[in-house]
Amino acid sequence: MEGKIVVVTSGKGGVGKTTVTASLGAALALQGKRVAVVDMDIGLRNLDVVMGLENRIIFNIVDVVQGKCKLKQATIKDRRINNLYLIPASQSDEKDTIKPENMKWLCNKLKKEFDFTLLDCPAGIEQGFKNSIEAADEAIVVCMPEISSVRDADRVIGLLYSRSITPKLIVNRIIPKMVERGDMLSHQDVVDVLSIELLGLVETDENIVVSANTGLPVVMQKDSKAGKSFIEIAMRMNGHPDLPIEDPTAPRSLWKKLSGKISRKSKVQIS
Amino acid sequence: MSDQVNPPVRLKGVGDRLWITFDATLPLEELKKEINRPFERLNQLAINARIILDAGEQGADATIINELGGYLKEKFHVGKVTGPPEKPQQDETHKRAGDLSNAWHNHRSEALIIAGRVRSGQKIQAEKHLVIMGDLNPGAEAIAGGDIIILGTLLGTAIAGQPDNESAIIMAMDFRPTQIQIGGLAAAGDASTGNKGKTPEFAKIEQNKIMVMDYNTENPFKRLAWPEVR
Ligand SMILES: Nc1ncnc2c1ncn2[C@@H]1O[C@H](COP(=O)(O)OP(=O)(O)OP(=O)(O)O)[C@@H](O)[C@H]1O
Ligand SMILES: [Mg+2]
Repeated sequence: MEGKIVVVTSGKGGVGKTTVTASLGAALALQGKRVAVVDMDIGLRNLDVVMGLENRIIFNIVDVVQGKCKLKQATIKDRRINNLYLIPASQSDEKDTIKPENMKWLCNKLKKEFDFTLLDCPAGIEQGFKNSIEAADEAIVVCMPEISSVRDADRVIGLLYSRSITPKLIVNRIIPKMVERGDMLSHQDVVDVLSIELLGLVETDENIVVSANTGLPVVMQKDSKAGKSFIEIAMRMNGHPDLPIEDPTAPRSLWKKLSGKISRKSKVQIS
Repeated sequence: MSDQVNPPVRLKGVGDRLWITFDATLPLEELKKEINRPFERLNQLAINARIILDAGEQGADATIINELGGYLKEKFHVGKVTGPPEKPQQDETHKRAGDLSNAWHNHRSEALIIAGRVRSGQKIQAEKHLVIMGDLNPGAEAIAGGDIIILGTLLGTAIAGQPDNESAIIMAMDFRPTQIQIGGLAAAGDASTGNKGKTPEFAKIEQNKIMVMDYNTENPFKRLAWPEVR
């Protein structure tokens, strides 16, 4: 069976796409899947640093597309996690070196090798975004509980729907105390406006900063709340779609997925 | 002189017809020249269109209508050409005497009705009225020649009565717009004043200002004694 191409996108920059890509990639691989994470941010690569693999890069995605190397040569194996591979971006090329048709070709190859290919999309809705969604089967929209992030996520969701991709939502960087005080949008406010399926809620967690510096994935850190959320999100992507979502703003309560079906006793007949 | 303000030939879409008002005092050749202008702009839209030639109050004799009609058919391939329909000599009471369920048969009103969520960066435009069964998100825009009615939450920008219909209204079940415009007036929304959907609200122009009111208590149409076409 062919694997899935999942694009991780947000519109707005700095909301956690790279963090989500690296963490979900690690979690899915730990759950036994073969996973590739691809840095689509040509010219501003980042994913390699977050994963602690920057010193191993020889070839990159642009080299593959331009035929300068084989896909295998640009695929870097993770140091700690089996089955996890990185395809780095190029640091020096222009943003539009890669064309959508290149991505179709590349993703077709990746699908045959990997169960999940996660594309770390650059911010914005320009060429890098267009390339990233060209061959995607699924999309994850990352949004922070913040008005400008919601606005950009909404724009991106519209663009994804126009390409017949149904996106799912991760609300990242929730600070429960601020939500309780009413100083931050709640995830419910975000879901109300975006009205797409919620895949998970991730708190702001210091461990993520530590992880970005040490390269130890947050999903491997004991007692990391964000790590736990990412493990659960990976499970929802990986055969357990109904795993309840924990609401960080109301400890111990679960945000159950309700079926939303109301049955009526009888239909009104108009004669 | 009045024809400096009013061009001698005017064209208006009425239902599925094109209604041409013209000044029958002009010589035929000049009329032909004037009538070219709007029809050239219409291009192939004129093909097979039903045309009504209306000389207004003064009226025109059948030969002019025949003459102009023939010209339009030949040059722009329009469909059937007739003079204006006889004005029904009905007054209001007479009209109302009819069965209410039949009273609408002669009316045409265009509304664009869409269902679903309109997202940031998306723009919906309607010639006349616009009904959205869904929400208008922040960053989305709805533009209408007539009213805008949102059976859901209005968070984006709603622009009604374009370009100059100041009697248009904007209504939403949950009225929290970023900005609204009616005709030539604009008003900025204020996130802190919305009542979060407790009651439907609507905006209309009153004394040259946009006012927002509770639809349940201030419904402006409640006071209309007899239903009329919007
Ligand atoms: N849940 C979180 N808790 C704490 N810090 C976080 C969290 N998510 C992301 N961050 C931090 O926020 C910053 C931006 O995150 P990241 O680089 O993943 O965003 P991005 O969307 O990929 O940005 P860009 O648009 O620049 O590519 C990083 O410093 C990251 O460590
Ligand atoms: Mg990034």
